Order: sequence, then structure tokens, then C-alpha cells
Amino acid sequence: MTASGPDDDIALIDVDVDRLDAAAAPALKARLQARLDGSARKILLNLERVSFMDSTGLGVLVSLIKMLGKDGAIAVTGVQPPVRRLFELTRLDTVFRMASGIEEGKAALRG
Amino acid sequence: MAEPAVFSCAARLEEVERLAAHLRRCGAALHVDNVAMIDLELALVEAANNIVLHGYAGRGDGTIGLTVDRLGDVLIMELRDGGVPIPSSVLSAHLPPSLDAESGRGIAIIRSCIDEVGYSQEGGVNVLRLAKHLPKPPAA
Repeated sequence: MTASGPDDDIALIDVDVDRLDAAAAPALKARLQARLDGSARKILLNLERVSFMDSTGLGVLVSLIKMLGKDGAIAVTGVQPPVRRLFELTRLDTVFRMASGIEEGKAALRG
Repeated sequence: MAEPAVFSCAARLEEVERLAAHLRRCGAALHVDNVAMIDLELALVEAANNIVLHGYAGRGDGTIGLTVDRLGDVLIMELRDGGVPIPSSVLSAHLPPSLDAESGRGIAIIRSCIDEVGYSQEGGVNVLRLAKHLPKPPAA
């Protein structure tokens, strides 16, 4: 996982795992929690390297948005078809803002 | 080389990826389209995770067996394990979890991705049968 920013109040995080599944989720969750020091309320997650995600991986993203509090928001970009399918099946595409690129993701979070 | 009739792995979360890889190899050999493969892999992984986490409850000595077959326009996956059976109330639950739930989506995902879910015990072995109807190929 690499992170940059915060750009304004948006933290950009590149998730660098191929499979965000139940085996990988606990380590990613710990890294995300360590990365977020409480200053960022908006996060843009770049998932372009994630070829597959299961419900445990999705649970990490849900825990992340809950950690941000009521003013928090997360946008995701680089979403590959299997990951998009999971967002849609679980209706979490209505919670996480889906963007087609970094700039669109930032704009969605600022909007 | 032909895929083995039954692919087995240890019932550990880090092994579930091997089941998924086996499914993808079978899917390619059986000419399953990419869209259907996404649903099949999601369902398989959720089912295998449940077996590891709930059926074997962290026991490290269990195994999971997977067979993949195509009968006409139906792709059938069968998962076999020797863990604690899934309670019927869990398998038949239809209420989707709330949007802020951090877990508990597995069964709902399986039911969304799969057309027919069967569950039985055969000689002390749990058999989860997941069948998905595949789209008919376009007429030539």
C-alpha cells in the first residue's frame, strides 16, 4: 500500500494487493488504520492493482468509512470488473463513490 | 494436462486462492464466459471462506475438495468438507446485511451469484452444490 497527500483533505491510497480477500484483509486493515492518523476525512482508494475482492476485503473498506465518521467519504477508482460486480451485488456502490480516474475521484469527494 | 477430478487443498484462508485458480482453469477448459466466471469465483471464494472460518473454525487439519463440471448450459461446483455443517437457517437466510455491516455478506453473495444451491451430508462429509446457468452461445 502506498499513500500520498493529503491533497487538501483527501488522502490518496494505492492498494497494492492483487487479491483483497480474507487472507489479505487483516494485514491491509492494520496498514490502513496505521496510515490514517485522523487528519483525513476523505479517501481516494486506487484499486487498479486489485483483480479480485471478496466480502472480507469489502468489510475492510466498510470499516474504513466508519472510522472516518459522519463527515467522511471514500471514492474508489481503478475498479476492475470482478470488484465492480461485488460492489454492485452488495449495493455498496451506493456508499462508495465510483470514479473512473484519480481526478474524477477527487472531484467526487470535493463535490 | 487435464485437471484432476477432485481438487483438494488445506482448509486455510491462504489456500482459497488455489481453489479459485483451479476454477479458472476449469472454466477456461469448459468455455465459460468471463462474466459468468466472475460470479462463479465470487461464490466459490465466499463458500470456501465460510468452510474455513465456520465449518472448521480455525482447525488446521481440515481439507476442502472441489469438483467443477459442465452439464450442457449449467456449470456445477461441488465443495466437500469434513467440518461442522452449515445450519440450515444460515443457508436459507434471505435478508441482505445492512450497508454498514463489516461481515455477514457471504451467503447473500452466493445466492446472488448462483442459481441453485444444494447442501447435504454424505457419509459425514458436507457437500455444497452450486449450479449456475450459463448464457447460451450466440447462434452461428
